[in-house]
Amino acid sequence: MLRMEIALFMVLAFVAFIYFSAEKKYTLLHKTFSWLLIVMLFHLVMDGITVYTVNHLDTVPVRLNDLFHRLFIGSMILVFFLFYQYIAILVEEETGKPRRLDKAAKIFLLIAELGDMVLPIHYAVTPLGNYSDGIHVVFCYLSVAFYFLLCAGLLLINWKKIQQKKKTAIGIALLIELLVTSLQGLRHTWLISGMGLTLITLAFYLILENPDILRAELTEQKMSMLYLKSQVNPHFLYNTLDTIRIQAQLNGDKQVAELLMHLVDFFRLSVKVDRPMVDLDDEMELLEAYMELMCYRYPELECEYDMDPDLGGAPVPNFILQPIVENSLLHGLKNKGYRGKVTISAHKTSDGNMEIRVRDTGSGFSPGKKAAIDELLESYAKQPPKLVGNSIGILNVQKRIKLLCGRAYGLWYTENEEGGVTAHILLPLKEELM
Amino acid sequence: MKKLRVLLVDDEIMIREGFKRLFDWEAHDCQVVGEAADGMEALAKIDSLDPDIAIMDINIPIMNGLKVIQLARIKHPDTAFVIVSGYDDFSYCREALRLQITDYILKPVNYEEFGTCIDNLKIALFRRQSSKTEDLQEERTITGLTRYMQEHLAEEVSLSVLAEEFHLSAQYISQLFKNEIGVGFLTYLTNIRMEQAKKLLLSTSLSVAEVSEKSGYGDYRVFTKVFKKSEGVTPSQYRRDFLEDTKSVQK
Repeated sequence: MLRMEIALFMVLAFVAFIYFSAEKKYTLLHKTFSWLLIVMLFHLVMDGITVYTVNHLDTVPVRLNDLFHRLFIGSMILVFFLFYQYIAILVEEETGKPRRLDKAAKIFLLIAELGDMVLPIHYAVTPLGNYSDGIHVVFCYLSVAFYFLLCAGLLLINWKKIQQKKKTAIGIALLIELLVTSLQGLRHTWLISGMGLTLITLAFYLILENPDILRAELTEQKMSMLYLKSQVNPHFLYNTLDTIRIQAQLNGDKQVAELLMHLVDFFRLSVKVDRPMVDLDDEMELLEAYMELMCYRYPELECEYDMDPDLGGAPVPNFILQPIVENSLLHGLKNKGYRGKVTISAHKTSDGNMEIRVRDTGSGFSPGKKAAIDELLESYAKQPPKLVGNSIGILNVQKRIKLLCGRAYGLWYTENEEGGVTAHILLPLKEELM
Repeated sequence: MKKLRVLLVDDEIMIREGFKRLFDWEAHDCQVVGEAADGMEALAKIDSLDPDIAIMDINIPIMNGLKVIQLARIKHPDTAFVIVSGYDDFSYCREALRLQITDYILKPVNYEEFGTCIDNLKIALFRRQSSKTEDLQEERTITGLTRYMQEHLAEEVSLSVLAEEFHLSAQYISQLFKNEIGVGFLTYLTNIRMEQAKKLLLSTSLSVAEVSEKSGYGDYRVFTKVFKKSEGVTPSQYRRDFLEDTKSVQK
């Protein structure tokens, strides 16, 4: 029998390893499950030990045997309590109704643990194997019955309000509990309680706590935050800005009016995300609005454009230039107190493509950064989709160029001899008339 | 020529104030004669004032701008409408085209550039008048000039060509345009060329270069630039937008 305990322990230890290394939200439910895993592992160790000691009554001292049994039964009761707690929190999350049975569950836990610690233990010796019985074990069955009833009650009362998947998880857990306990009650020597508990824990893990679900929860939360952020009605935003602009102009403040005009333009152009490709001119208009504002904020910032006029109508992926320029400002020129110059140029290459360059006179790459960026842009496909964080802007630009224009095109960086960096964007140029 | 009478319709007082005070109406031979803040008021003002031009926001209370135009058209077929809207949306444009709106501009309004819009309106008003008086026996000089321009769009049409053709001085012709239509000769020429280009882009499958040529531009790059400045999009984009839009309507 000992082999089964070892196998169960290894399975759960593996589950615990995956579970604890997964990134997740720290909700009460997940915390409870973490505790459940820890207590379960402890319980399985005790299970293994008692399976050995109870069958070696003559060689293992009685006190030691008693201690292990008390820990074994005690942790089992705690596991049942945690099962209840987990299900109760799950039901609360689903229905929104507060947990009213917690107090009773905790008081019962205290009594059961107390009983486990003080009541005398009796060992039954049979030809098939030994086991403990008597008043001490009754507590164990009592706690199973008590928590089982609480959970079953919770499930039945809230039957309609609980999501199908969660109902399945709770239902399976309760069925296993019922089955294993009755089998154990009928065949005392089977000693299968550990298996039952492991199965229930696994059921919760597989249905409700596996890494995919945890990740989905996390992403959903972040997405909904982003979604809410983007819910500020853009029409409200730029209509109001426009009103302020007109007022400024009526007041004779031409400068403020102009700044607001750039800001309105920037917002208006940047909410046009429904179109994957735009003309280079549109992209430049957005960029110019952005740069006008930045140059106003940082007067020592300079911006120069060197565009081949023939390329104005060339289609480019939407919103690729502004993130690159923003990157140059934040990671290059900011370190120089926003003193310096950004040069944006676009020209045809000898092989009939188009290259856009964003050259800055900023601080350049810090040691090792160039290699990291090269690696990031090279292995763009392997990078998980990120919602926030460093280099997210340029990674997105790279991904979109590759997706919309083909793998032969894309973004890369070089270092300038006289300091600063240059971003290169290679794009296809269709020789149709524009 | 007589001053054009303008009605301003927008639910935001600031936008109306902006129009009233930040655009030089005087210099464009116009005069703001009234304002309205909602659809009903707009309809009433159009009835009582009978303006030449109504500058109209789409998204206004009680009755939207397009509805107002639709109703006002019945009694006031000669009023020109300019739609001003924050809705950067081609479907509005299409609806507007169906209602034969004379022009369509987007917020934020750049008051310095609003003059181009007024010029276009003057040309449209002139065209409507001349089409009405077409059957009159005696043709006015200006009508003859514009007809000649329309017929020779693809060719080189300059003041000197017109002067030779009509035995008039170039200066006189230039003045005639200013007086009769209210816009300069070049503005008028560009306008009819753009009209021609738009018509060809939407109704034929000619390439942009061919459209450019048929609209009087030898160099399609110049054409693209002028088109973009006047319509806000490149010729190919203009055509694409229209096709996409018709497709989505058919769905």
